Amino acid sequence: MDATQSLRYFGPELVLTAAIMAVLALDLGLTARGIERSRWPGIVALAGAAAAIGSAVRLLRVPAREWLFGRMLVFDGFSVYFKVLLGLALLAAVWMSLGSREVRGQPNEGEYFTLLLSSGLAMLLMAAAANLLMAYLSLEFASLTSYVLTGFLRHNRRSAEAALKYLIYGGVASGAMIYGMSWIFGLTGSMDYAGIAAGIAQLDDPSRGAFFLALVLVLAGFGYKVASVPFHMWAPDVYTGAPIPVTAFLAVGSKAAGFAMLLRFFHFGVGAAGPVGAVTRVPLLQLGTLLCAATMTLGNLAALSQQNMKRLLAYSSIAHAGYALLGFVVFADAGVQAVLFYLTVYYIMNLGAFWVVMLIANATGHEDLPSYRGLAWRGGALPALALAIFLFSLAGLPPLAGFVGKFYVFGAGVERGLIALVVVGVLNSVVSLYYYVRVVKTMFLDEPRAEDAPVHFALNDLAAVGLLSAATLVLGIRFDWLLARVETARRIFAG
Amino acid sequence: MKFQYVPVLIAFGLGGLVAAVFVAAGMFLGPRRPSPVKEAAFECGNPPSGPAWGRFSVKFYLTAILFIVFDVEVVFMYPWAVLFRPLGVFGLVEMSVFVLVLTVGLVYVWRKGALEWD
Repeated sequence: MDATQSLRYFGPELVLTAAIMAVLALDLGLTARGIERSRWPGIVALAGAAAAIGSAVRLLRVPAREWLFGRMLVFDGFSVYFKVLLGLALLAAVWMSLGSREVRGQPNEGEYFTLLLSSGLAMLLMAAAANLLMAYLSLEFASLTSYVLTGFLRHNRRSAEAALKYLIYGGVASGAMIYGMSWIFGLTGSMDYAGIAAGIAQLDDPSRGAFFLALVLVLAGFGYKVASVPFHMWAPDVYTGAPIPVTAFLAVGSKAAGFAMLLRFFHFGVGAAGPVGAVTRVPLLQLGTLLCAATMTLGNLAALSQQNMKRLLAYSSIAHAGYALLGFVVFADAGVQAVLFYLTVYYIMNLGAFWVVMLIANATGHEDLPSYRGLAWRGGALPALALAIFLFSLAGLPPLAGFVGKFYVFGAGVERGLIALVVVGVLNSVVSLYYYVRVVKTMFLDEPRAEDAPVHFALNDLAAVGLLSAATLVLGIRFDWLLARVETARRIFAG
Repeated sequence: MKFQYVPVLIAFGLGGLVAAVFVAAGMFLGPRRPSPVKEAAFECGNPPSGPAWGRFSVKFYLTAILFIVFDVEVVFMYPWAVLFRPLGVFGLVEMSVFVLVLTVGLVYVWRKGALEWD
């Protein structure tokens, strides 16, 4: 499909580009008038993100399955589903930023919202990329904007350190990835995923080993984006150092975009002709199983002893990447469906948890667990209740959304015969219950001490948190609605 | 089939060996008469000014990045110029949008004062 026709399926990205330029122009106008601080860049960014979601939702009803822009991007139900999800993540991040004391206190707010929208735009491109070149460029685009956002708190040492670590780690990972991509191109003679799938069928035996090595290198790049072991080391530091809205955006947006690329590459690229391991006779299933088990276990064990809430949620997000990887390791449509469902539920509950952490940080100025002592009994009953709902959902307790998400992922694993891996997953859920419940215990059962000041929350700050906790409760019971959406999105366009 | 690339391996080995022999020969056979002039850093014939680990202002990097952005913009104009007639109005509009986006960036950098050298 040529470029002019492609534009019809490119609505969300165009809207976001326009919003980015509008925020920049607005920022210039404010600078010219000497206005240091204004709500407007954030409000324009919010409107832009909402318009992008609207545009993506309209595309949900379009049944077309097409290559766009000379086989660089694809348009299919899978990409549109991710665009809606990523748009929602962007909207939530902008909304959070508007209420964040960390972000609002900084100069250059216009720049912040420009970068946030750019990062969102890059993630939309990641979800639709079906060409190695486009995949690499969109991933780099998302990474570069994330580095700057992470280091946005200029006079905060932790923030600067986090940005530097993220940059160095990201550079190594993307270097490994592009090296692997060059091998794949060399072996199959094609950059777009359909061409790669066709090229794999003609590989001779010695080339299969090289191809496996290339896959491992590419997996390093994707694994870094979704924070899977052993490419997870950046996550705790970056999540702790970045401003909380950015942390939340990285935890839900960046991870979802990474999974979109991972699934598309392995199911639609190298796996289009059937399960990858079977076609290429490489031990990909074994490798995936190992990564998945290690990610779940290490994330949960490391979270056990954390005292900082952002760090705790960082390790918990590594563990959740492990659960979602279980759906990936299934290497079938059922697995893709489970991952889509899981990522959506994860978006709601994890975002909610970060949101409450931000509200508490706004009120108390602290993110560490002791400052949560007796929170429910000194003015924070509603946020404490919401955080309890999110944490129980993250632990996977029924009747909350997190339980249904885990049920589908583990169910897909059992169907595929990955019993051992599912057992590891279930054991990990039990382990994770300990550190989630510890936070709930601190908030409700521990007595506040004399030095713990009472806190106040404005009711309108709690609106979004209320919405997310309601969604966690409702999706735990009426999950059929989401399941029907996921059902149509799981089939990836295969050229 | 598997041994198709063995000659390349041999070439690599020979290359490494020759380099190692030359370096070793220089180390063991060459006379050594150090003098202050010989040990000074070589800066294209000029007397060296300042230490080699001197720090540069970050402004150089900003200017360099801006240069790259507009350099690449010009590179994109060459294929457009070659295909100007076949692309027609579509090409003109697309190129205008591209230049417009970069111009917004330039105006932003300019008005924010990033081009002032103080």
